[in-house]
Amino acid sequence: MAELPQAVRGFGVTFATIFKKVVTEQYPEQAAKFPPKPRYHGRHQLNRWADGLEKCIGCELCAWACPADAIFVQGADNQEGDRHSPGERYGRVYQINYLRCIFCGLCIEACPTRALTMTNEFELADNNRADLIYEKQDLLTPLLPGMLAPPHEMVPGTTDTDYYANKITGAVPEQAVQVDAEQVAP
Amino acid sequence: MTISAETRDQLRELAARYPKSRSALLPMLHLVQSVDDEVTSEGINVCAEILGITSAEVTAVATFYTMYKRKPVGKHHIGVCTNTLCGLLGGDAVYSALSERLGIGHNEPSADGQFWLEHIECQAACTHAPVMTVDWEYMDDVTPASAVAVVDRLARGEQVESTRGPVIRDFQATEHTLAFPLDGLVNDGVAVDAKMLVGLRLANERGMSAASIPAGDA
Amino acid sequence: MTITSDAGSDLTPQVEMVTVVVDGVAIEIPKGTLVIRAAELLGIEIPRFCDHPLLEPVAACRMCLVDIEGVPKPQPACAQVVSEGMQVRTQLTSPVARDAQEGVMEFLLLNHPLDCPVCDKGGECPLQNQAMTAGRPESRFDEVKRTFPKPINVSAQILLDRERCVSCARCTRFAEQIAGDPMLELLERGANQQVGTAVDQPFDSYFSGNTVQICPVGALTSAAYRFRSRPFDLVSVPTTCEHCASGCSLRTDHRRGTVTRRLAWDEPAVNEEWNCDKGRFAFTYQEQGRVTTPLIREDGQLRVASWPEALDFAARGLSAASSHGVLVGGRSTVEDSYAYARFARVALKTDNIDFRVRDSSDEEAQFLRSAVAGTAVRTTYETLEQAPVVLLIAFEPEDESPIVFLRLRKAARGGTRVYAVGPVATRGLAKLSGTLIPAKPGAEPAVLAELAEQVRAELQAPGAVIMVGERIAGIQGGATAVLQLAQATGAALTWVPRRAGERGALDAGALAGLLPGGRPLTEDSARAAVAAAWGVDSLPATVGLAGAELLAAARDGAIGALITGGVELGDLADQSLGRAGLEAAGFVVALENHHSAITELADVVFPVAVVTEKAGTFMNWEGRPRPFAQTFKDALVMSDAVVLGMLAKAMNIAVGASDVAGIRQELGALGAWTGPRAERPNVPAGPVAEGAHLVATWRALIDNGVMQEGEPYLAATAHLVAATVSATTAGALGNPESVTVTGPLGSVTVPLEIGAVIDGVVCLPLNSPGCVLYRDLGVRSGQAVTIKGAL
Repeated sequence: MAELPQAVRGFGVTFATIFKKVVTEQYPEQAAKFPPKPRYHGRHQLNRWADGLEKCIGCELCAWACPADAIFVQGADNQEGDRHSPGERYGRVYQINYLRCIFCGLCIEACPTRALTMTNEFELADNNRADLIYEKQDLLTPLLPGMLAPPHEMVPGTTDTDYYANKITGAVPEQAVQVDAEQVAP
Repeated sequence: MTISAETRDQLRELAARYPKSRSALLPMLHLVQSVDDEVTSEGINVCAEILGITSAEVTAVATFYTMYKRKPVGKHHIGVCTNTLCGLLGGDAVYSALSERLGIGHNEPSADGQFWLEHIECQAACTHAPVMTVDWEYMDDVTPASAVAVVDRLARGEQVESTRGPVIRDFQATEHTLAFPLDGLVNDGVAVDAKMLVGLRLANERGMSAASIPAGDA
Repeated sequence: MTITSDAGSDLTPQVEMVTVVVDGVAIEIPKGTLVIRAAELLGIEIPRFCDHPLLEPVAACRMCLVDIEGVPKPQPACAQVVSEGMQVRTQLTSPVARDAQEGVMEFLLLNHPLDCPVCDKGGECPLQNQAMTAGRPESRFDEVKRTFPKPINVSAQILLDRERCVSCARCTRFAEQIAGDPMLELLERGANQQVGTAVDQPFDSYFSGNTVQICPVGALTSAAYRFRSRPFDLVSVPTTCEHCASGCSLRTDHRRGTVTRRLAWDEPAVNEEWNCDKGRFAFTYQEQGRVTTPLIREDGQLRVASWPEALDFAARGLSAASSHGVLVGGRSTVEDSYAYARFARVALKTDNIDFRVRDSSDEEAQFLRSAVAGTAVRTTYETLEQAPVVLLIAFEPEDESPIVFLRLRKAARGGTRVYAVGPVATRGLAKLSGTLIPAKPGAEPAVLAELAEQVRAELQAPGAVIMVGERIAGIQGGATAVLQLAQATGAALTWVPRRAGERGALDAGALAGLLPGGRPLTEDSARAAVAAAWGVDSLPATVGLAGAELLAAARDGAIGALITGGVELGDLADQSLGRAGLEAAGFVVALENHHSAITELADVVFPVAVVTEKAGTFMNWEGRPRPFAQTFKDALVMSDAVVLGMLAKAMNIAVGASDVAGIRQELGALGAWTGPRAERPNVPAGPVAEGAHLVATWRALIDNGVMQEGEPYLAATAHLVAATVSATTAGALGNPESVTVTGPLGSVTVPLEIGAVIDGVVCLPLNSPGCVLYRDLGVRSGQAVTIKGAL
């Protein structure tokens, strides 16, 4: 049998492929087609206790653990009337630089209060560097029902130990009064 | 309360007794308790001023020794020995009975300001266990009932005597004696009785003596 | 560890040596050495908390237990002295020692909270580290821990977390043995034992910050540094303290261009391991109120200008003037002072220069030229420690040079006798177990002349020291009397200025009549040598104006242009003279790092660097150079010397090197002067002021000083601002709670305190909140005021 010209044989491959299943993902139109696996290391989030107080205590262990030096934390003192977390200390400044982050998750392992976890969010692109440094307000989880935005005091009669033992189930009316008062005051 | 000029003079008198004046701090604090019923912050400051040391140093001493109280004691201090021997021989029961009678626990004053109850350590009176003290005077061989009876009599204002003789005055008077022991009361009552000497007598009868200390082993 | 002096080593008695064996290694060491030190010398680290080489052994923490052959139980290595043939086995070779240490660690951790993530000590904590190296991996304790409310203030600055304390007693021993402020004590007993103060009597020691540094756990922390950063965030740079003439070695820790804290650094010859709270906490001024760009005055208003414009403007103004003056505040580095001294003589061709923009006198200038500038170092911290007797005149070391105070206290504990001539037996003097030689303010020269024979005899002993403070300038005849006393007794005389830059400025020649290295301007050979070094034909040959004379000349319009460097008008006793002088001067160029009264009066303002932004040298009171490197390597602010160099260039004058290395080389090449010195002052004692109440005053360590701004916790630990008088004087006033003190300019009302002050004298702080004597009263030391009981 006479051999077909090389060019025609090439088209054969093309022709056959037309009938094969397409693996290309049409991103972003079909983003939902291949969602990340649940354990995917995506954008970080800063969690809250059930009453809305922040879990982050500003200890900087995440920053210490970070091999890429992507995290900057500055702690501060919880003051009377300006409480952001249970206990003495909270993270006043919390930044993650996604230009540096390698999503290794060592920060998550280091976090002593489970304040820092990772979401599956992977759409981290932008057209400038500044916006890729995520600030605390970008990383904090939204308030769920039953949570109140800090600053507010701990649930009356409890201590930070109760928070760490997960004994807090949600904000109580006394805390709501404080938050309302603060919103009115300024 | 304020430390009077007279008390200050007495404090100075105590301070002057010792080659190093700060040695006088313990009797001085007793004197403060004798006038204030407790070691007050003012008393601490006055002692510090007289001795030329800081109030913190005086506070350290006043909080270290359990005989100094930082709250008003009240009229009578009741101590019950609950160390091993007294405790086993009924001291714990005596303490419980008193605690129930007075409605107070360890190192607490009663609501009427009459009594202060305290678990105390060994009073070196194991011969007469269980032992209770009232204003640091011995009440030997007490029972829960006799201890409560003593408290009842004191509460009624009756005169009570220690089982060894001396008349019970009140806490502040005792504190004064502790500050100035040479007030003539030192020989009141029985210091040594036959029961305390039983062991000695038996040892003598049987020719027992302590082993001699071997030479060269200090 | 303190290095012992090798000076006079042939005098030291023969040390008896013993041989001990630690972990099988033999070492020969002096008898009486502690076992823990012997192990250190062999490089064997025994874990410890309470042990500190500068504190007396206490064996409180029990962490350093070691196994000693022949002793039935483990012994604490920090309290056990070595003896001949002792066989010590540490945790490295002895299971008994290892087990004992692990047991102690387990006990120490029983009640220790798991605060490490929020604790300021976390990351640099001896307890954390040694729990890893000498502890068991797991605790067997599963009960409830003892808790305390946390944290409590033992002072406004020092916070105490009692849960974290391991009762090592380092802080209380420091307070008692080193600072002499036993206001911090171990209270209660047993499991309740805790560090604390007396009720309502905070730990307001000038040295309280050291307790934070030596606390081996996070029990003591400072309010200023609370939760500010973590050790691994920080870049640490060794530096020298800029606050006083003690010359402490410090470590500056910074993060992202901001100083977060400062620590005392180890310098056995100077500050050992201590510093004062001002040196530790007062650094926030570096960032606040800074001049950031050159400013020039146009139509009466200062406006921002570019460097070339401002330099040109300043150069034209300076060139146009026919007479000049240079005022250098006492805070310049040696290099900057040298640059001013050189700029004045070379570029401005004037000798009108003074670094003493404070209470000063001609007599003082003569004293400094003749007896201090460029002299060989004779008295040091070490010789002070060994001195048999020290006489203090116009000098309150605890306030004015706190590390001198600490060394004097160490000396006094070792037997040195301390005398102070003055009107007040201060708290500091009491802590030195010192004796007051009473003298009314102004009467010091007379008292010195008639000093008791016994004191005079003591001063003749070898090693005796006379320390005179910068306040001697305010006492007429004072410097003369001190010099005479030193000459008559042979005691070493040393001058202790207050500010860090004064001693260096003196040696750099920033004083009229004085060239670098202590060279008298009036000596032809000295002048010729310096002129050659500076590459000019000649230098001004007549001694210029200094101090008040210079300002008075400016006021009278005799000074066409003034250059000021780091000058504060508030330092001048006669503030109206200073203001009038600057106002009347034709043209004022100010080199300043902060906006101040001076910048308000200047025609040109150049921003200059603070200590963190430049390298340099401070010369401390000993005459010891204390060089330091630039903390912020990328700081763009220039030093005074660099700005003066640029200014000279703009004036088309060559002045030589203006970088630190170049200036050090120039100064080094010049060296010290060995020729004839300027004449000694010979001023008769002045009269003692008339009046019922004479003022005795000096600056408290913690006061209104501009370099303490922005540090409220530090300010809150200042000593009580009060008028202190004798019981007799107070009685005559009717023992009021507070008094109103009135001087020519006005009055202040302050609480009345009774103290060891001589009758007829009232002791007031010079520049403290609510009592600024020069501004509010218009009086200086030795002048009379009226006092009334306040309602």
